[in-house]
Amino acid sequence: MRPLPAFLGVFTLLAAAPALAGTDYPLALDNCGVSLSLPAAPKRVVAIRSTSTEMLLALGLGERIVGVAFQDGLAPEPWTAQSAALPVLSEKLPSPEVVLEAEPDLVYAGWESNFSIEGVGERATLGALGVATYVSPAACRSIVPPKLSFEAVFAEIAEVGAMFDVEDAAKALVAEQRAELAGITPDRRGLTALWYSSGGKAPYVGAGRNAPQMMLEALGLENIFADVDDGWISASWEAVVDADPDIIVLVDGERNSVAQKKALLAENPITSQLDAVMHQRYLVVPFAAAEAGVSNVPATRDMAAQLAGLSITP
Amino acid sequence: MNPPRLRLIVPALVVVLLASIVLAVTLGPADIAPMEVWQTIGHRLGLVAESPVGRLREAIIWELRLPRLLVAAATGAGLALCGAVLQALTRNPLADPYLLGLSSGASLGAVIFLLAGATLLMPLGAFLGAAAAMALTLLVTQLLGGVTPSRAILAGISISALAAAGTSLLIFWAVTADSYREILSWLMGSLGGVVWGEALPVLAGVTVLGGLLLISGRALDAFAFGETAAASLGVDVTRLRWLLLGGTALLTGILVSIGGAIGFVGLVVPHIVRLATGSRHRLLLPVSMLVGAIFMVWTDTAARSLFAPRELPVGILTALVGAPIFLLVLFRYRRIT
Repeated sequence: MRPLPAFLGVFTLLAAAPALAGTDYPLALDNCGVSLSLPAAPKRVVAIRSTSTEMLLALGLGERIVGVAFQDGLAPEPWTAQSAALPVLSEKLPSPEVVLEAEPDLVYAGWESNFSIEGVGERATLGALGVATYVSPAACRSIVPPKLSFEAVFAEIAEVGAMFDVEDAAKALVAEQRAELAGITPDRRGLTALWYSSGGKAPYVGAGRNAPQMMLEALGLENIFADVDDGWISASWEAVVDADPDIIVLVDGERNSVAQKKALLAENPITSQLDAVMHQRYLVVPFAAAEAGVSNVPATRDMAAQLAGLSITP
Repeated sequence: MNPPRLRLIVPALVVVLLASIVLAVTLGPADIAPMEVWQTIGHRLGLVAESPVGRLREAIIWELRLPRLLVAAATGAGLALCGAVLQALTRNPLADPYLLGLSSGASLGAVIFLLAGATLLMPLGAFLGAAAAMALTLLVTQLLGGVTPSRAILAGISISALAAAGTSLLIFWAVTADSYREILSWLMGSLGGVVWGEALPVLAGVTVLGGLLLISGRALDAFAFGETAAASLGVDVTRLRWLLLGGTALLTGILVSIGGAIGFVGLVVPHIVRLATGSRHRLLLPVSMLVGAIFMVWTDTAARSLFAPRELPVGILTALVGAPIFLLVLFRYRRIT
């Protein structure tokens, strides 16, 4: 039976051929100032935060997710059913032991702070155990990433595509999102906006550097805190009232819902005076889409449609 | 009798406090001319026919700055008063609502009520927490063999740590990533977003309870010589002690439920005041209240203006300013003794 192994050998060569055009392993890359080396495409991934889960699902890598944690609800369509079936390691930040029990070869986190002693564990510690770690580059803290752009979001898609050797899927996704983004016409009415994430006493708001600013710019809205060189800040209500934004973007979290925010804004004696509150001029964005990831473009398109539906008389 | 300069100190400080409020209300992230601010307040008080500013600026002045300033003044006055009274009652220079565990107990009580959804009853929860912490601290002090300053502080620190751990556990268990930030800022002590509905209970509490505690100044002077001496001067020691302890717990609870655990004001202000007035409580208590109020008006104005449009929890500033001052006070005591 000599011919069979030879036959298999040819098969192996054929199967390997596409990989030659794809990623060369070991793949070295720099992530938030940490050098990363992947010996092969990760097969067992733990995703912390919804943005990383959505990225993996959008690239068709759902089957490689061995666990998710600290999610903000399920992924949007068309991945909702698939995300509902994923094993949840922890509602909140899991401990290193819970993560290691899932035997991942990569932990992909939406926030750099997820990798800490209080959380999943330090990156170096996980690395020493052979578990690679990756942080969404827009969420880097130990190095300051440039002001977020859609190109940077597309670059993350491409980078994750390269890590998993699914560059074709990544290219297709970027092309699709680029086309979708091109179809969004910025509003030309010269409107101002507040990006209201959470908080009652001191509102946590989108400032000038991260996903909120990027999406507001695409919508043609002027962020009232665009000048503050940070992603998000705890702002004072006085500054908000002084700017009196035309529009308020409400971030819809699972436990901090739009209904709660609307009630809070309407009941508070100061915020109830805002034009946007008096005229109910709100745009709603899902929680996970408010941070850099694959949901930014669809959410921006959705908000553009909401915005077009708002009539504003100055 | 007080020397003349001390007799003038209370009216002088009242003037400084009023001037501070009048000046501080013109400061803030929104750029509004001082004259417009004063005219707007005059308009709301019915003294000026027309407001010179629009609806929103009027709201900034009347709904944001004024209640917050008054709460800052009341909080400073109340904390300084509680500190001075507790220092006298426990004959302990290091006593204050923060160190005796009252603030941590109040925080725990308030967080329990907050997470249970009873936001409106938070002052009650804070009072219950403060009272429970105080009762535990005193009980432990008694069990250790009677009240001495070091025992009271050690007991206070343990109870404080216990209450803080309880608060952390509740936050860890119940609070999501997003609301954590808000609670954290409150735990550090913040007067951001205070509205009239919250300001009025604080003002009423400080006025009523503050007034009652002030009257106790004479009895506290007797206390300072020890309980036997106080009893021989005709003071019902046990009853007075419980009344004063209950009063400080209630006042601390009210203050913490609105502003969170603002540290060092209760500790530092009475010490600084004592340097000027001596330790007679008839003078020490009102002067501490006024100095505490002036101190908080300006630290909170800094907290809301320095990093505009960002909001800084004022507790960070009071600790930043208070801790070094306290060290200076300690060094001064060392030189005297």
